[in-house]
Amino acid sequence: MKGHHKEVLFGLYNDEEVLMNAVKKANKQHLDIMDVYSPFPIHGLDPVMGLEESRLHIVGFIFGMLGTLTALIGISWIFGGSLMFHGDWPTIFGGKPYWSLPAFIPITFELTVLFCAIGMTVVFYIICGLGFGVDNPVLDDRITDDKFCLAFQTNDMDASAVDNLKGFFQSTGAEEVHTKTI
Amino acid sequence: MKQFTFEAKQKNFLIGMMGLGILCLILSFILEPAQIAEGGTHARFWSNFLLNVVFFTGIAFMITFVIAAFTLAYAGWYVVFKRIWEAFSSFMLPGLIMMVIIGIAVYAHMNHLYHWADSDAVASDKVLTGKSSFLNKNWYLFGSIIIVGSWIFFGRKFRQISIEEDKHGAEVADFAYHRNLRKYAAIFLPIAAFTGPAIVWQWVMSVDAHWYSTLFAWYSMASWWLAGCSLTIMLIIYLKSKGYLEAITKEHLHDLGKFMFAFSIFWTYCWFSQYMLIWYTNNGEETIYYFTRKSEYPVLFFGNLVINFVLPFLILMRNTTKRRYGTLFFSAALVFFGHWFDYFYMIKPGVFITAKEALEHGKEGAHEAAGHAVEHAASFVPGFTIPGLLEIGVFLGFTAFFIYWVFNQLTKAPLMPLNDPYMEESLHHEVQSYE
Repeated sequence: MKGHHKEVLFGLYNDEEVLMNAVKKANKQHLDIMDVYSPFPIHGLDPVMGLEESRLHIVGFIFGMLGTLTALIGISWIFGGSLMFHGDWPTIFGGKPYWSLPAFIPITFELTVLFCAIGMTVVFYIICGLGFGVDNPVLDDRITDDKFCLAFQTNDMDASAVDNLKGFFQSTGAEEVHTKTI
Repeated sequence: MKQFTFEAKQKNFLIGMMGLGILCLILSFILEPAQIAEGGTHARFWSNFLLNVVFFTGIAFMITFVIAAFTLAYAGWYVVFKRIWEAFSSFMLPGLIMMVIIGIAVYAHMNHLYHWADSDAVASDKVLTGKSSFLNKNWYLFGSIIIVGSWIFFGRKFRQISIEEDKHGAEVADFAYHRNLRKYAAIFLPIAAFTGPAIVWQWVMSVDAHWYSTLFAWYSMASWWLAGCSLTIMLIIYLKSKGYLEAITKEHLHDLGKFMFAFSIFWTYCWFSQYMLIWYTNNGEETIYYFTRKSEYPVLFFGNLVINFVLPFLILMRNTTKRRYGTLFFSAALVFFGHWFDYFYMIKPGVFITAKEALEHGKEGAHEAAGHAVEHAASFVPGFTIPGLLEIGVFLGFTAFFIYWVFNQLTKAPLMPLNDPYMEESLHHEVQSYE
């Protein structure tokens, strides 16, 4: 996201209960929350923020199926004996037919799990904007330790709206309010 | 919290079903399949009885095992329905009584369920002679009593501590009752882990007296636990529809659904591992087991995989199916029947082969090993190659008996433990916050 700077107004809270109440209040006032940062997962925060169910498991399913297919096609291509493949290097193991499904199940299972795990991890990194060489500025170092942060993006806001937000922070018990451009 | 009352209507219905079960059991005594009727061993009756006794006693045992495991694992979420599991666990007592009936019948040679119980056959058979220190009628009867008796002791202890905790739990310091429960659970767990497989070997695996598999106990105990888990889900949904157990939410059911899903895969893993090793090794005395089942009992062999793996896997994979009572109840019913069907598959073919061979043995007077059943023509045998109506009737009767027993136990104590230290955690159990 180079070239696109975000102006962020954020408040730091000392306690997750206070933060939860602030998020609830922000929703009631229809304020557009950019994000909430916390050093640990807060139980019940997701529905309050209005976050939806993650769709990462669908990615997992698709990658898993891809792994299953890769394994079955790969094995069939090597051993042949099936409808589509004549066998690139047919080998007899234990006197079984070239193409014998029970022997392929463990490999198919492993590749399914492998594709699923790697696919989900990579997709997760991409949608979270993480990865090598990606710069992810931290609003304040203390939100990785003991502070709870509620952030608003103020790029297109006029001064009165920003003042309104500052008033909101004050009324909800934020310890500090800062602005930062990231 | 409402105290459970066992309504007259439910009682009448369950007693009616039990009547149906007894009727079907008697009919299966008379209606022996033509292929083995001459032998006069009443294999259909005895195998039906064995199948259901083993199935329901095993459910009670595995639930006791899981109570112990959960207690030691600091699990809190299950406490709201712990009373249902305690009631399940108490079914080991009638289970043992019925098992003793079978044991006495084996002892007195009133049936021919087990090839190893035939002393003439054992004397002329090296394999069976070698196994006779474990597979003999003395150990079958008295070993079952000792082992299941010890399980009953622990099951009753868990229940007793839990009831005591209801009464005096608030008065004692430092969760004394719960600590006591943990002590008993810790003793029970290794005992159950070693005796459970032994019981499975002698009750179930030994119907194929020559065959053995080291994975068998894993596979059949997973089957018991799945049956118990699915029955729990169905009972909870039923009791909730009657207005009880309002503290059990879909969060608890979601987790039970996950258990059902995960252990269905675990069950398949065990099933497949056992199959694949035997298939690959291709050792005659082992392969014959699967060869016979695939060629002569294809409905059991493939049906088992479809009901217990393919369907639960596809249905329960979605998050939402585990959180909706309708789909969850449906899949629980499927899995419950599926694992009964699994036990049917474990027991019936072996009993049929044994009965058939006893018949031929009598005819020819020749000594033949149990593995020689392959040449018997594959044909439809009611009550053996697929469950007949009588088998379904007996199954329903036993299910009614089990539920009757459980409901009767539920009336004796509050439906939820009152002073369990994990109760509060269980009440606030939440798996996912979005819908």
